[in-house]
Parts: sequence; structure tokens; C-alpha cells
Amino acid sequence: MRIIVQNAKCQGHARCAAHAPHIFKLDDAGYILPGNIEVAEEEKLTASRGARSCPERALKLDLNPAARVEPDVIPPRVRRA
Amino acid sequence: MATNPVPDHVPPEMVRDFSLFTSPGMSPTPNGDPHAAVACVHSGPPIFYSPLNTRDGRGTWVITRASDQRRVLQDSETFSSHRNIFASALGESWPMIPLELDPPAHGAFRSLLNPLFSPKRVAALEPAVRERAIRLIDGIAASGTSCDVMKDFAFPFTVSIFLHLLGLPDDRIDTFVGWGRDLLHGDDVKRPAAARTIVSFIDELAAARRNDLVDDFMTFIVQAQVEGRRLTKQEVRGVGVLVFVAGLDTVAAAIGFDLAYLARNLKDQELLRGEPGRIVAAAEELLRAYPTVQLIRVATKDIDFEGAPIRKGDYVSCATTIANRDPAEFECPNTVDLAREDNRHATFGYGPHRCLGSHLARREIVIGLEEWLARIPAFRIKKCTAPITSGGHVFGIENLILDWS
Repeated sequence: MRIIVQNAKCQGHARCAAHAPHIFKLDDAGYILPGNIEVAEEEKLTASRGARSCPERALKLDLNPAARVEPDVIPPRVRRA
Repeated sequence: MATNPVPDHVPPEMVRDFSLFTSPGMSPTPNGDPHAAVACVHSGPPIFYSPLNTRDGRGTWVITRASDQRRVLQDSETFSSHRNIFASALGESWPMIPLELDPPAHGAFRSLLNPLFSPKRVAALEPAVRERAIRLIDGIAASGTSCDVMKDFAFPFTVSIFLHLLGLPDDRIDTFVGWGRDLLHGDDVKRPAAARTIVSFIDELAAARRNDLVDDFMTFIVQAQVEGRRLTKQEVRGVGVLVFVAGLDTVAAAIGFDLAYLARNLKDQELLRGEPGRIVAAAEELLRAYPTVQLIRVATKDIDFEGAPIRKGDYVSCATTIANRDPAEFECPNTVDLAREDNRHATFGYGPHRCLGSHLARREIVIGLEEWLARIPAFRIKKCTAPITSGGHVFGIENLILDWS
């Protein structure tokens, strides 16, 4: 699973990090660091709860990123749980 | 109070007899429930026009759905924060900063202040916050089996933490709280008088820190740089006034509403006392159920919004108290469910102006509830007393006499 981070929508509520600080890393101002987040199989539940907690809807779940063909994007390596 | 007629472009069928100031349950009411009182708007249209919905008697559009409020508050190009609400009470025109600035100017000031109120910084403050809560509550527990939570705990607790953060002495708490009360809940005479007092206080404090640097917030502000330059005196005032005013009232009100709920719902009280691990999630739900502020934006251009002809200059109200009771966003919104999941409430606003103090506010509320429940046995509202609640621009609770005899 991958979490798509829409940085421009992050307003520093930090609810994601409150659920899972090791998955959602914040900068010194309390806003999410840029870059999508690859989530290990065993962290799926915590990570999706964190993503769903965003009041701005800045975090999107991509449940099956490896199976999708995305032009101009190198498919991420699938992590083994 | 000036009353404006409904502007010509507002279709008469979109005007509703609703106001955060004058509707039933909004004026000071013993045993009132202003949050339940505003929830009734959800049986009506998603947007309507309220002819009298600001402190100075202006009309606003009212956005009821949380998703529409998100749209408004995330779009600062169309919906501006530039209102000079504080200065206008003095017949002046300068913004509270960063609250009343729009991006991109907003961003420079916000970046300056964000690290001071970040989750990391708030975590470092936690031991001092907890110590203050414990000291106050131990004092209350030692002196009897009843107290006025607002006067004896909620205000001294939240305001002292905040004064400490600003580097201001505790011994003037009562004076500062009085200024805040007059400013946020006072009449047309008290309000401008309080505003003037606060401006003078901040101006004098800034001048003192310019002459004599110490390790506190105002010293940081007078020395800080944005875009490669020092802040102007007016900008220092704008930041100082905002941060001062923002800490005086809302967190204390939240703690008051929360303890009033628990005093009336002994099962929930017992649950949290027995399983304090639930308090973090419970505090989030109480934040949802009992938010305090109305956010107002000004349209920068004509826009048709969900069928409403919003015109340039119109005021648009996004009341957190209304969004948090939206049944499209929250299942059974009028029920307090202390274990509610996916609780993405609007209490701290949406968009770039998300409450700067949100992380501190959350910690104070959680710590306040944890230490209160750990030290005070089963409590109820004292017989023959009634908490007085009010609506308005900022919802409030004046008194809360609890009894655990």
C-alpha cells in the first residue's frame, strides 16, 4: 500500500502523526515531509487510520500501487511483509 | 448596533431567521446548550443568508456543511481573511497577524510562528503543563468538595500556561482574563475599551522588549525577520494582539464544556476515570461536540456557490459549531461518542489558517481531563446552580459549579 501525500493541502493539523508518528514524519513546523509513503503490509491498518484522520483530506490511500501502470513513474518495489 | 438590510442580490427565499447572536439559545442561558441549538440548521438548506450574524450587526452567508466549509476555507483567493475585526472595534485598520492576512503574505508570518507552537515544542512543554494542572487541582481537592471550575481551574490553568509561554507574570491573570471576557463577550462599550487596553499593553510590552531583550515571545517577535527585514511596529502589534487574545478564552471554555458534559453523564465520567487511556480519543470527540468559534471570510469576487449568488464583499460564515454537527460528515452528530473514529472535526478550522495553537490546546485539554479525573471523585453539577452558556462569535460558559460531596 502507498499513501499519496498532497503536500500543498497539508496545514499542519498533525493528526496523521498523532496516529502513527513512525509512518507520518513531520518537519520542524509540524507539517508533513514531502514524498509519498510506502507502507509495509503489517502497518496497513495504522497507516490507513492515520491517512483517514486528515481534516484537509491531504492524504490518499493507494491500495495496490504496484499493480497499476503509471506512465512516467517507475513502479515502486513491492515490500515484502 | 447597526443593522444592515438584506442586500438586493440575495434572493428573499435564501434569507433565514437564524443568527449566532440572536437565535434561541444564543443569549446567556442557564443550563443552555448553544451547540445543540445551532445544529437545527442542518434540517435546512446547505447555504442561506443570515441578516444579522456578526457582532457589529452585519449579514453573512452561512455555510452549514463541513465539506462546503472546507471548500471556502481552503480557497483563500476567493474567500479572504482580510477583515481587521479587532482594529475595526477601534475605528482603525490593521490586521491581526497571521489570522487576517491572506497568502502569500500570510505564509511568511506563519512560518515564523509555526515552530513555536509545533507538536514537538508542545511535547517539550508537557511536564510544566501537567505540573500546573496538578498543583491547581490538588489545591481544589484539599479545600473542599465543590468549586467553580471556570474560576478555580479552567481559566487559571490555561491562561497561566499561556502567560508563561509569552513570558508574562502570573499575578495579573485576573486582569488579563477580564480583558478577554470584555473583548469576546462584552457589550458595545466594554468591547472597544478592552481592545484599546490590550493594544496599549502590547505596544508597551513591545517597546520594553526592544529596549531590554529577554528570553520570551515578545523579544522573539521584535527581533524576528520576515523576508529579510524586521517587523514593523504595526506588524509586531498585529502578532502580539492576536497571540495574546487567542490564549485567553477558548481553551478554558473547552475545558468547561467538557467537564459540564462529564458532570451530566456519569457513565462516561466513570469510563474515563477507570480507563484513562481513552481520554485522548474522548477529548477529540469533546472538541468536536463543543467547539467555540465562527470563522468569517470576505468574498473577493462574485461566485455562485451551491446555488447562492455570493457577491464581492459579502461575508461568508463558517461556524465550526455548525460544521461539527453536520450529519453528512459525522454519524449521529448530536450524540457524544467518546470512542468515535475518523473524527476529522472542524474545531481548529480548515485551510492555511488552521489554529496555530491547536497542538497546545489539545495537550492542555487532555492533561486537564486526565488530572481532574484522577484527583476528583464522581462529580455533578451542584444542586441549585446552573452553568450559564452563550452563543455568538465565540461560544462560552461563564460558570460551572461542581460538587463531589
